[in-house]
Amino acid sequence: MSRRIDTDVVVLGAGPAGLAAACAAMEAGARVVLVEREERVGGILKQCVHDGFGLVRYRSKLSGPEYALRDADRFAALGGAVMLEAFVTKAERRDGGFSLSCVDKGGVVELSSKALVLATGCRERTDRQVFIHGDRPAGILTAGLAQYMINVQGLLPGRRALILGSGDIGLIMARRMTLEGMEVVGAHEAKPEPSGLSRNVRQCLEDFSIPLELSSTVTSVRGGRRVEGVTTARVDEAMRPIPGTERDVECDTLVLSVGLIPENELARSLGVPLDPATKGPKVDQSMHTLVDGVFACGNAVHVNDLADYVSESGETAGRAAAAYASPGARPERRLVPVEAGPGFLYAVPQLVDLGSAAAEASGGATGAGSAGSAGSTGGADERAAFYFRSRATMPGGAVVRMATADGTELYKRRYAVLRPPEMERFELSPHALSEALAGMRGDGARLVVGMERLEPK
Amino acid sequence: MLVIPRKDTNAPRDRAEPRLRDAAAMIARRSRTGGRGIALSERGGSIVIEGQAPSYQEKVEIGWAAAKLGFKGVVNDLSVEGAPEETLSPPLLADSALEGAYYDVVIVGGGVIGSAVARELTRLDLSVALLEKESDVAAHTSSRNDGMVHDGFAAKPGSKKAAYNVRGNRLWEPLCAELGVEFKRPGSLILFGSALSAAAYPVMAERARRNGVDGWEFWSRARVAAEEPNVAGDQHGAFFLPSAGVLSPYKATVALAESAIMNGARVFLDTCVLGMELESGRIARVRTNRGACRAGVVVNAAGNWSDVVAGMAGDRFFSLHQRRGTEAILDADTGRHLRHIMGMPRLVQIKSKTKGGGLVPTVEGNVLVGPTAAEAPGREDYSTRAWELRELEKHVRLNTRLAMGQAITYFAGVRPCTYEEDFVVERSERVPNLVHAAGIQSPGLASAPAIAEDVARMVAEIASGFRAVRPRDGWKARRSAAPEPRRLGPEARNALILGNPAYGRIVCRCEEVSEGEIVDAVRSVLPVSSMDAVKRRTRAGMGRCHGGFCTPRVMEIVARETGSPLWAVTKKGPGSELCVGPTKGARV
Repeated sequence: MSRRIDTDVVVLGAGPAGLAAACAAMEAGARVVLVEREERVGGILKQCVHDGFGLVRYRSKLSGPEYALRDADRFAALGGAVMLEAFVTKAERRDGGFSLSCVDKGGVVELSSKALVLATGCRERTDRQVFIHGDRPAGILTAGLAQYMINVQGLLPGRRALILGSGDIGLIMARRMTLEGMEVVGAHEAKPEPSGLSRNVRQCLEDFSIPLELSSTVTSVRGGRRVEGVTTARVDEAMRPIPGTERDVECDTLVLSVGLIPENELARSLGVPLDPATKGPKVDQSMHTLVDGVFACGNAVHVNDLADYVSESGETAGRAAAAYASPGARPERRLVPVEAGPGFLYAVPQLVDLGSAAAEASGGATGAGSAGSAGSTGGADERAAFYFRSRATMPGGAVVRMATADGTELYKRRYAVLRPPEMERFELSPHALSEALAGMRGDGARLVVGMERLEPK
Repeated sequence: MLVIPRKDTNAPRDRAEPRLRDAAAMIARRSRTGGRGIALSERGGSIVIEGQAPSYQEKVEIGWAAAKLGFKGVVNDLSVEGAPEETLSPPLLADSALEGAYYDVVIVGGGVIGSAVARELTRLDLSVALLEKESDVAAHTSSRNDGMVHDGFAAKPGSKKAAYNVRGNRLWEPLCAELGVEFKRPGSLILFGSALSAAAYPVMAERARRNGVDGWEFWSRARVAAEEPNVAGDQHGAFFLPSAGVLSPYKATVALAESAIMNGARVFLDTCVLGMELESGRIARVRTNRGACRAGVVVNAAGNWSDVVAGMAGDRFFSLHQRRGTEAILDADTGRHLRHIMGMPRLVQIKSKTKGGGLVPTVEGNVLVGPTAAEAPGREDYSTRAWELRELEKHVRLNTRLAMGQAITYFAGVRPCTYEEDFVVERSERVPNLVHAAGIQSPGLASAPAIAEDVARMVAEIASGFRAVRPRDGWKARRSAAPEPRRLGPEARNALILGNPAYGRIVCRCEEVSEGEIVDAVRSVLPVSSMDAVKRRTRAGMGRCHGGFCTPRVMEIVARETGSPLWAVTKKGPGSELCVGPTKGARV
């Protein structure tokens, strides 16, 4: 017979988002089962041996494993239960809650819960998804895979690498591979500006004299058994290769850092609506998706640039999931869309729940609202965090405004510079939200975030 | 010999055989350069064409023209600038595993044909060795196709293709049941793009009747819309062929090879035939990178190299040209949008050499788009080009729920084509202990079981000349396939995991593949150790992340099971190691 476990909250994924969510939910009094596919908790942070984690959340500079250990220890101290090397094969709604089929080395487990937190992270885009042609030899790998091989397995993936893309993992791997004695011949980015954080461009490329070629891409790979070289080409504004600019570069390794995609196969199977801009579930300020009882956080919702914000959204989701699972009446959800103007690549949350905003403003939140959690800073109050990225670089900065449909301004801030690689964040108190939206009812109710571009002085 | 003169003033020499003169005239007409300097001769009943062609396309067209003149075969040795004649590149492995051994039958090539022939031959008490130059069976054309078991409508009436296809189609379903391989029969819709093409129905029905196809129907526009709800609006009904099926071509090939091994055949991987030694006209020894063995009968099932292998035995009466095909694989989420195989050939395609490609719902729930068809040199050139994918868009547009953005990967295959565009399945006329199964292009997969039956019969005839041939005692039709936990119900899956916890450790998250399945692949009767071979058997690494997450885990399992260092695990055999060694100071 397969095993059965009944709990309040199931958290799927024990990376930074899932660990924070599980801790927050337990601190709010919920029974929690944390489900992790790998043999250890920590998610992708386990392979991130570089530092720079925790500056926001802990005000210290930690490596990835050190950062992950903070919440792993917190979870252990709470007596949390984690299923390791466990994999959810099916998820469905049942009896007002959720039923999950799960396998691990002990067999099949049927999990049932009142609430579900999806902290499933993201995956890397592959060479095929960016339409690289030519041969298919060994030596083509994503930056994350190269990172796992070097940092966890102690394996050197090649001797002479070219990097396509300038995402943060690719930049960090340029430095890492150089330090391990590989030759990194260059990083090519099809866009006219880098995709990663400025600090990574400086510290990982410039400090090591690794050339970054912008508006340049790899069009094909050459090699029988192992990569022997790649063809690079300049691209036009539409990122199409320009004929006549092809160049053959000898290398035995092609590392790809061409973007991350939120993993939402389970969300999809539960009918959770996704935002085409983020490729993650649409959520409200409590990280509650449009399917009641399903919460989502971290890189499954949108790709963050700092683990600290991943944890923050996990805290929010965990607390809200615990509140949802607690006995007693749930405040009725009154969802109002947040419309992001054309200057935004995306904005999260995509919705605001006036019902829960009102409940929190009046201090009547259930469960979670009363417990301030130790060991975390961001998200411990009930202020609603908004995250966004601009669609284009605005060297002169921009003014960002959030207002109701009738023009009542809730928030305004001038940003000195906006760049798509850098995620921005601001917060609003639930009080302000509920006040401003008090009179709004019916179909017209909505919030609008706008961006006014400023010219450089 | 007849040489087409370099200047128009000199007429071809009159002594030449009339058919060669006809050939010269035809080539002179067809060729952009008038075929000047091309030499024609007859050898063993085949026409031999030598000289220079201005392009590969023209070389192929000259070959096609020559094939219409009634020779036994076309040996097209025209050279093309920029496309040098290719030579086999043997594996890096060198040992003496075969040295001095004797087998009643040596099969050259471990594609679906060679593997099916091997299994068929194990019904008899003959010793059988299958030699495959790659690190796995089905490494080339047999894993680089759309898995369609064609109905037999598209083949030219009266051709070997037509006969073998229809027979093979009937054989696959029971064969898959024996092998434990999934087979589905979704049927195929040839959509009519206009009222005019719909008027071709009686002609199509007549062709299906002549080929002996198992059933055909006219479907009205409304019927198509009802049975295939996501079909694009601009169709005018369809020609429906219910017998068209699908299977996983590499899983089927692996299963055939494994079944052969279970019944006593030997399969040698990384083993490339380099030459043959003849004694009084018969093949006596087969030389490989792993030593030379003696052979009673040799079966040439060498795919894109089958003309070269024929030449090793001095029987190159045909030559191959290569027709590339590129296909895209759409995400596993898309299969639910497509119920039937379907395509909408343009009217101009009716005279072409292929049926034009389309959409195929795979047994695994993906949708395959393609293939393209383009004559291009390169017997093993699987590089893809951007324009090929653009060409596939027309198929995707046939279904309103599909888009090229759903592609998770794409790949190319190469069809081994004779200039007659038909299969060569026959006993050699020149070498008494050689059987050819060559030029097996589309619908080769569909035809494979039928071809294997005939080849096995020919081999038995030859073998009975030097020994008594009896049925093998205890031959087992059924192959016990390794378990696939994801297909089991919760209780059966739980019981399986309780028996072996490795079936409960999911290694490939996209395709839900467990450690136990990878161990099964590595330890099977046909043991494999490359990532590609493991992928073909288990689907690990075949999903949307494309191995980003599971590669390290699969590597660890393969290294542990084979005793290889972790860094030395290969993608597709020696020379394709995934890593170059440990990092500084790492102990791996």
